[in-house]
Amino acid sequence: MSRSHFLAFLGLCSALVVPSMVSAQSAAKPKLSATAIQIAMVEAGEIQIPAEFRFAVYERLVEQVRASGAFQKVYRSGDRAADGIPDLVTLHTKVEAFKEGSQTKRELTTVFGATKVDVTASVTARDGRSLMDHKITGRVRFFGENLGVTNDLAKRISKLVRESF
Amino acid sequence: MKSIAATLITLATAGLVWAQTATTAPNPNVRHVIGLDTSKRNASGTLTVQDGALRFKTRKAENTVPIASINDIFVGTETTQSGGKTGRVVKTAAIAAPYESGKVLTILMRTKVDILTVSFHDPDGALHGAIFALPIGQAALMRTQLVQAGAHATPDDSQTSEGGKP
Repeated sequence: MSRSHFLAFLGLCSALVVPSMVSAQSAAKPKLSATAIQIAMVEAGEIQIPAEFRFAVYERLVEQVRASGAFQKVYRSGDRAADGIPDLVTLHTKVEAFKEGSQTKRELTTVFGATKVDVTASVTARDGRSLMDHKITGRVRFFGENLGVTNDLAKRISKLVRESF
Repeated sequence: MKSIAATLITLATAGLVWAQTATTAPNPNVRHVIGLDTSKRNASGTLTVQDGALRFKTRKAENTVPIASINDIFVGTETTQSGGKTGRVVKTAAIAAPYESGKVLTILMRTKVDILTVSFHDPDGALHGAIFALPIGQAALMRTQLVQAGAHATPDDSQTSEGGKP
């Protein structure tokens, strides 16, 4: 490849990459603001999911969101102390799909037996306005018991919340 | 004939008494999965129903959940690895074994446990879910003890979760 060809190729690449970077930056939403968040209990709807998975996701969410430091206060579902906070936002988690795998299969085959939970995580303001809405999947692929999926899911949701606030 | 009947009655009564003592004895092999504030995750301890509260006691901490604050109890199963942290280290080290022979440990070290989930509210009304792993067959007994002590729980059939594929 001659030098002129190389320079033309480089120019073409930068012409393609730079505008996409600029548009990604301009598309980045401004950060939301709230001093407190309430974590609602995980809703399962019609999906069959063992109770321990729902409660484990809820407990780990409380832990992870607290650890993220994005809010001054993190309240649990039903906490009366949250009633008087004007800028309180609420994190809702709804299970969309659940597939329970097998730890033994995972560790023996490394391909089969993954446990997977699909959820919709949304944050609403006090007036019911939706501030954030994402579909997230939690997985446990190789090591660890099936309940480990709740940790993966909570980490992902907490990361999204931290990036939004 | 009378002596045989008397012996049978005595044996049956002794069996009942033994069974009752067995169910109320604290189980030292309960693992706290998550949900209690002052106990660490995966801490082992004893779980008892005493003086109107569910008590989980480890070497370093003790948590109590008043029976009156419990609003539901769920029982499920899970297949996990035995041996705790040491087991995990051994299994990780076994990955290096030739011809993937270390995977035999996966089969040898698996164990089935009961999962007991206790849903309760603290004095501020906040919802908590304490999850424990118990030896197989123990969670239903603990649930019965809690219900007998006055804990609220929705009927057994609908609340038994179906988790725990091996």
